[in-house]
Amino acid sequence: MMDLTNYIGPKYNDFVQKLLDDRQTRYLGIKLITPFTVVLVLLICAAAVVALYRLAFGIGAASNLSDAWPWGLWISFDVLGGVCMAAGGFLIAGAVYICGLEKYHCVARAAILNAFFGYLLAAISICMDIGRSVVIWKALISSQINSIMFIVAIHVVLYTSTLATESSPMFFEKVGWDGARHKVSRCMVGVALFGVLLSLLHQSSLGAVYLIAPGKLSQIWYSQWIPYCFLLSAIMLGLSMVSFETILTGKVWNHPPPRDVLSGLGRGTLIAGILYLALKVFILLDTPGLVGMVTDGSFLGNLYLLEMAVGVVLPIVLLSFKAVRNNIHRLFAVDILVISGVLLNRLNVGIFGVQEFATRSGGDYFPSAMEWILTLGMIAFAILGFKLCAKYLNLFPQHH
Amino acid sequence: MESDAFSAVRQQLGGISRRDFIKFCSVVAAGMGLPLGAGEKMAEAVVAARRPPVIWLSFQECTGCVESLLRSNHPTLEHLILDLISLDYSETLSAAAGHQVEAAKAASILQNKGKFILVVDGAIPTKDKGIYCKIGGKTALEILNETAPHAGAIIAMGSCASWGGVAAAGSNPTEAKGIPELLPGKKVVSIPGCPPNPYNLLSTVLYFLTFNKLPDLDEKGRPRFAYGRIIHECCERRPHFDAGRFAMQFGDDMHRLGGCLYKLGCKGPETYANCSSISFGETGTGTWPVGIGHPCFGCSEKGVGFGTSLYTLANVKGLTPPIFFSEAFPNTPGVSGGIKSMAMGAGGLVVGAAGAALLTGLGKNDEGEPPRGPEKKGPGAQHKEG
Amino acid sequence: MPISRRDLLKGAASGGLLLASGVPAHATMSTTLPPNAVGFLYDATLCIGCKSCVVNCKIKNCEPGGALYQEGMTKPPYETKGPGNSGQWDETQELTGKTLSVIKVYKNGTCQTKDAEVNGYAFFKQQCMHCITPACASVCPGGAFKKDPDNGSVYYIASKCIGCRYCQIACPFGLPRYEWDRAWPEVRKCQHCRHITKKGGITACAESCPTGATVFGKVTDLREEAKRRLALKPGDEYQFPIQTVHSRNRQPRKVARYVDKVYGLTEVGGTQNILLSGVSFELLGFRKYLKNQALPELTWHYIAKIPWVFAGVFIGGTAIYKITHRKEGDKS
Repeated sequence: MMDLTNYIGPKYNDFVQKLLDDRQTRYLGIKLITPFTVVLVLLICAAAVVALYRLAFGIGAASNLSDAWPWGLWISFDVLGGVCMAAGGFLIAGAVYICGLEKYHCVARAAILNAFFGYLLAAISICMDIGRSVVIWKALISSQINSIMFIVAIHVVLYTSTLATESSPMFFEKVGWDGARHKVSRCMVGVALFGVLLSLLHQSSLGAVYLIAPGKLSQIWYSQWIPYCFLLSAIMLGLSMVSFETILTGKVWNHPPPRDVLSGLGRGTLIAGILYLALKVFILLDTPGLVGMVTDGSFLGNLYLLEMAVGVVLPIVLLSFKAVRNNIHRLFAVDILVISGVLLNRLNVGIFGVQEFATRSGGDYFPSAMEWILTLGMIAFAILGFKLCAKYLNLFPQHH
Repeated sequence: MESDAFSAVRQQLGGISRRDFIKFCSVVAAGMGLPLGAGEKMAEAVVAARRPPVIWLSFQECTGCVESLLRSNHPTLEHLILDLISLDYSETLSAAAGHQVEAAKAASILQNKGKFILVVDGAIPTKDKGIYCKIGGKTALEILNETAPHAGAIIAMGSCASWGGVAAAGSNPTEAKGIPELLPGKKVVSIPGCPPNPYNLLSTVLYFLTFNKLPDLDEKGRPRFAYGRIIHECCERRPHFDAGRFAMQFGDDMHRLGGCLYKLGCKGPETYANCSSISFGETGTGTWPVGIGHPCFGCSEKGVGFGTSLYTLANVKGLTPPIFFSEAFPNTPGVSGGIKSMAMGAGGLVVGAAGAALLTGLGKNDEGEPPRGPEKKGPGAQHKEG
Repeated sequence: MPISRRDLLKGAASGGLLLASGVPAHATMSTTLPPNAVGFLYDATLCIGCKSCVVNCKIKNCEPGGALYQEGMTKPPYETKGPGNSGQWDETQELTGKTLSVIKVYKNGTCQTKDAEVNGYAFFKQQCMHCITPACASVCPGGAFKKDPDNGSVYYIASKCIGCRYCQIACPFGLPRYEWDRAWPEVRKCQHCRHITKKGGITACAESCPTGATVFGKVTDLREEAKRRLALKPGDEYQFPIQTVHSRNRQPRKVARYVDKVYGLTEVGGTQNILLSGVSFELLGFRKYLKNQALPELTWHYIAKIPWVFAGVFIGGTAIYKITHRKEGDKS
């Protein structure tokens, strides 16, 4: 480690030294400079360039959005998808701190950090997607309680701060700020509870965003229950994501995944999945003609069937077997199914489900190259950030 | 080499060059939309030895139509009546008067039975057996019925002769009617207008003389070359109509700038005539009512001219070409291309990921059963509260 | 157990209950017509497609205070060239961030007869409908769309806008348009010429319409006029008012055959601009499955539950925590 005392003084040098001390995590075998990391960095740089271009020249210049298609890839995938992928954070925090399920403690740090990056990804994407990024704070002070977006904005800000607070202990621990760490630990329960509350509201509010548009969102997805559909699918996805990244980090780094945790997560996903499927079936039966609409081989009907089959039905069937829940590889496969299926659901609601109005008015949309670059760059940022934190912070306390 | 006939005419016409003469005929032919060779044919017809006879009857008229004729330039009036046609009877232009001119008319009719061109201007009153217009002791109706059966072609000149015009306006106290209405079986050419452009008449007459038949007529007997389109279609202020630049009051800014006069009651959109194309008086463009700033009042159109208020809005006939409007609701069915490709891509990725995951993951056998107790600790692990 | 944790939880639970008690039982957006609600009646059978309204709307709104006005503007903005757009400022094809009102056409077959559904054509004026309970105003997170409490016009405050375009999603007619080509964009839509109507004038479109297809007035008067016209027989002559619904300036015309419906009385809770047409409204782009319910109510049903969620989670969470950590407390 380089001695920077001469440049920044002994106190700051001490801080930096402590932060960059990776002896604790050396057993994980994380290498910083790998081909994959290089690709991530390149993507992030490209995304940064695109972001600057978009700020300088406007959204029309950087994307293919138009009046017929005001919301596209950034909202549907980055924001909706990013937020639901980060649902694992509040679930694990709630499980550990409120429900006292200590066995999940070992995955808590990674799950919360993952959620934190997920929300950062979503928040930065929102900033990029709105036209007047610099005044985004105006959405927080307007007291527009009729607007779901106002509520979502407040939630995002509060929850990101909550996640930051929940993630801070490992940071404080690393740099030796024990006093701060103690203070945070003492109110962790309250913070976790606050986080659970915010997340429950936030996840369903993103679905409620579409309540105002019954004429635009296809009946296949639109119903008064859409916020609860979003919530249940987010819970399903959140648990799967925690399981996925635990197994993945176990595969690429030297970190044996805790099997009973994974088994428990699998059970959680199964229960959430059953509830979600039950709600969806209820909606199908409650809305006259809906069963016909999804089974008639139409464009939207097929997308719905695909999303339900891959994201809900198949995982439920597979997870009901203990042989699947107790097998890491099979769990991994099921996690991939759930992730693809639920992300497809977000795309369905955000883009494909609203296509009829736009197409009939003569509009068309396919994300521009810049939109893809920014999305991939944001994902790369989340992955790289996680990797750096795994290397320099104690993400996997081995006390299980 | 000049032909004998042409030399004779050349002397008569005071030395007009052959080239100028052919030019005149070509111009007239072009004005009527006839093919190139027609000009020469016309020239030949005109220099035929015998000038064709024309009898011009005038009834309930203001003489405006004759005045309009006086202001033609090609041919000038003197060339027309002295060298091109034989105007055997005209109340305005005949040198003779009284019994002499009536006798001349009778003689001409007798001599040229079936060959003369009868031009009528002015409407004919029909109330009380038509006594409200009498010339030389006879009612207009009688004169018409005496003359018309022997004519080779009948042309109603002006709105009054075509459909009644101003004479039939308002309550029509004399029950004035136009010529076509009074000669139901006969083919009558109408040249409506108040007054019409003289070239509408001249071109029709020359056409008849050249080809021995009348030009293409519409269902009201009007020659299509002049009355086939509404004024609105060729109006120089049309772009202003299409862009919504209207004069709201006489003398306001838009009026001074030459804006469309529709809001002031211009009847161009429902009047068939060619005033907007050829104007009047040949002093350049814009010498017609709209061009000088007053809305057209539809003088040539029955039911519009003298029938509706000057400042009532016209009924617009004919849609501005649809390319200038976008469709209210294109109603494109199905799914647009970009979305379809995106969906295919997303669906493909999902199916691919799912398939790959299932194929590679499901079959794998895990080593050993999941342990119940705590895992073996790795090196460097510490007990820390999180 | 440290005292601070317990206190925190207690405080949070009671705070949640407090919030829950203070919520009104109904949506905060009014669903009734404001006292002096104004709008215009657009009669498609009278429209001749002259586009005087489009042009004058642009001219008047480029004045200071107008919806299109920007600092230093000397002439109306030119459209960006694009498909179907000639790049002119007065020949617009579509509503955009620079065009607040546009005339479009419905055409079928040979387009010979006006206001005929088959082999005919009809004109249609597209602009903001000024809903009685506007979805755009309810969904704006910054509060940039406001409904005037007196005359009901829905207007835009650019300084509050963050450019999220939720209004474009929410509007059931798809009317607000965005300045995609600017780095500091605004949302644009008809604002009833607020800078003119506030001083007692009338909207530019109504003022310039030569045939009286667009007449301005109080919504109650407009509704009466619309019903009056529907009661007339096609072919009767009627004195149609020009510019305002009670104008003395009238033009006699034959009444055309109307579709027996006034659009805007109940759709999405009612709109202040209402329409009459000779062809079915669906052909003009008005979608058939628009509810007769104000859209903000749909969201409000969800939002009204939020304080209960607060209370529920705090109380439930505290209870679960107590239960699961009671054993710990016993142990220690």
